[in-house]
Amino acid sequence: MREISGEVRDGSVFLRLSGRIDSGNSAEAEKEIFRITEEAPSGPVEIDAEELEYISSAGLRVLLRLRRKHPKIRICNVSSEIYEIFDMTGFTQMMQVDKAYRVVSVEGCEEIGRGANGTIYRIDMDNVVKVYNNADALEEIQHEREVARTALVLGIPTAISYDVVRVGESYGSVFELLNARSFSKILATEPEKMDWCVKEYVELLKKIHGTEVPEGELPDIRETVISWGEFMQDYLPEEAGKKLLAMIKAVPEDHHMIHGDYHTKNVELTDSEVLLIDMDTLAVGHPVFELASMFNAYIGYSELDPSIILKFQGFDHETAKTFWEKTLALYLGTEDPEKIRSVEDKARIVGYTRMIRRSIRRGGLTNETGKAEIAHWTEELLELLARTDSLVFFPFELEAAADRAQLQAVTEFVDGHLEAAGCPARAQMQIGVAVEEIFINIASYAYGEGSGRARIRVEAFGDHAVITLTDSGVAYDPLAKEDPDTALAAEQRPIGGLGIFMAKKMMDEIRYERKDGCNILTMIKRY
Amino acid sequence: MTITKAAEADKLELKVAGRLDTSTAPQLEKELSESLTGVKELVMDFQDLEYISSAGLRVLLSAQKIMNRQGSMKVTGVNEIVMEIFEVTGFSDILTIA
Repeated sequence: MREISGEVRDGSVFLRLSGRIDSGNSAEAEKEIFRITEEAPSGPVEIDAEELEYISSAGLRVLLRLRRKHPKIRICNVSSEIYEIFDMTGFTQMMQVDKAYRVVSVEGCEEIGRGANGTIYRIDMDNVVKVYNNADALEEIQHEREVARTALVLGIPTAISYDVVRVGESYGSVFELLNARSFSKILATEPEKMDWCVKEYVELLKKIHGTEVPEGELPDIRETVISWGEFMQDYLPEEAGKKLLAMIKAVPEDHHMIHGDYHTKNVELTDSEVLLIDMDTLAVGHPVFELASMFNAYIGYSELDPSIILKFQGFDHETAKTFWEKTLALYLGTEDPEKIRSVEDKARIVGYTRMIRRSIRRGGLTNETGKAEIAHWTEELLELLARTDSLVFFPFELEAAADRAQLQAVTEFVDGHLEAAGCPARAQMQIGVAVEEIFINIASYAYGEGSGRARIRVEAFGDHAVITLTDSGVAYDPLAKEDPDTALAAEQRPIGGLGIFMAKKMMDEIRYERKDGCNILTMIKRY
Repeated sequence: MTITKAAEADKLELKVAGRLDTSTAPQLEKELSESLTGVKELVMDFQDLEYISSAGLRVLLSAQKIMNRQGSMKVTGVNEIVMEIFEVTGFSDILTIA
């Protein structure tokens, strides 16, 4: 019959389907298929569906029966329409179904981004294509699509690819990116927008780092960094190597999102919003690992040759340095150079570790440039290791003695973060009141006559802030306390008892939780 | 927080500027306990008060209770943000705000 042809070669079955396969011809098609497969009754089957125009459920049932005898089936060259049928009916889960790919050329197209595993080109006004370095990138593409979807669902503004195409010998994924300009381009052409870029860039970064990811949905970067630390054991003096690895292992597990390659080419300004792209490195982990790759992007890679940054980002070394410093200060919510330096040191330790390993693996020790780089980075790393004892810092969290004397430090910490995030004065004062009341409550009662500590976490966004206060004192739900009667006259009003009530009134949402021996009070203020 | 004091016969005016919170309220409390004797008219000028928490309110309520017995108390220059706190806590009904 016309719709089915094929043959057996080396024990494998090759079938070609064409035209329509539906209830009108499925019985005949089945007979024909099994006639061809007779010679290899259970061998693998490869089906070329390039000419297939339609397949109905009767046709799909034939494939199911074929699968009973031939468990290994691959269907290739599937058009988008037919792929949809396979996808909807669950066939893509049961057998390998490979789409036919549209061919796209990027010759003469503007390069708008370059990441660890691919390059992004603009193919027309509204669309970009990310061309993967690896020729066999279908798995990577699938991975990136999945993580981008995870991020989008969790509220991160990103673009999801809608098509996979062939670009020369590689694959590419196509995204819609309307009228977009990368932050690199803005910084290169409109230097007066530096502070605006820093503000938007940090806000998005805080949003990423403030996003909790359900377990197992994204890889844990800590494991990767541990493997870098293990690699370094052969290239550092014994003691320094041990210290490095111990410090990496001491970084606590963290289920918040990190982008993994967060530099200004991967942040795009569209007509209406700031979008994050190049999602394949998305992971969970402590923010020190993010800052490490940011340090490398702006400073590390071009430390010995400042022209590298110009080639990579399109702006010069000075711009990169200023942008990085401003970003770090705003992200940490402090102007204190010592605090900033101490966090930067931690980021540099991880950053140098990564660059040294990368260079060695690429044969850096066999050429002069590579050797010079590795020697310089190693020297910096050893110097940092000698004066640093931990990679951990708490970007949005202050730990303080649960003591009234700490109120000023707490207030300054909270105000600093809110101010950096552009929180309006009125909301800032109201949050201040709520934080004071809860903190003083903890300081007064949580540890009875003894002493203990409290943690204050601030996550400030463009339109709301989340403040969390935690103590490990006696279980106590302050919200359970009855509200005072605010209608009483002065003589009847008791002195005191207003604090918790005020905290409740100042916030939009407030909830208490007792978990792992801790009192956790979460407060949300919208503005 | 800074307190500026102006006394004239049995009238006392206290200008309170900055933050009136748990750390600074005791300072105002002390000032009042030392200065209220014989005062019949107390004016609290809050024109430069930026922030008030329950610790500050406590001191105001104590002062109000004392002044109810020996004269009158008035609060002036309250800004919008502080006013909102007086309102949610019912203090706008207790205090005389001019």
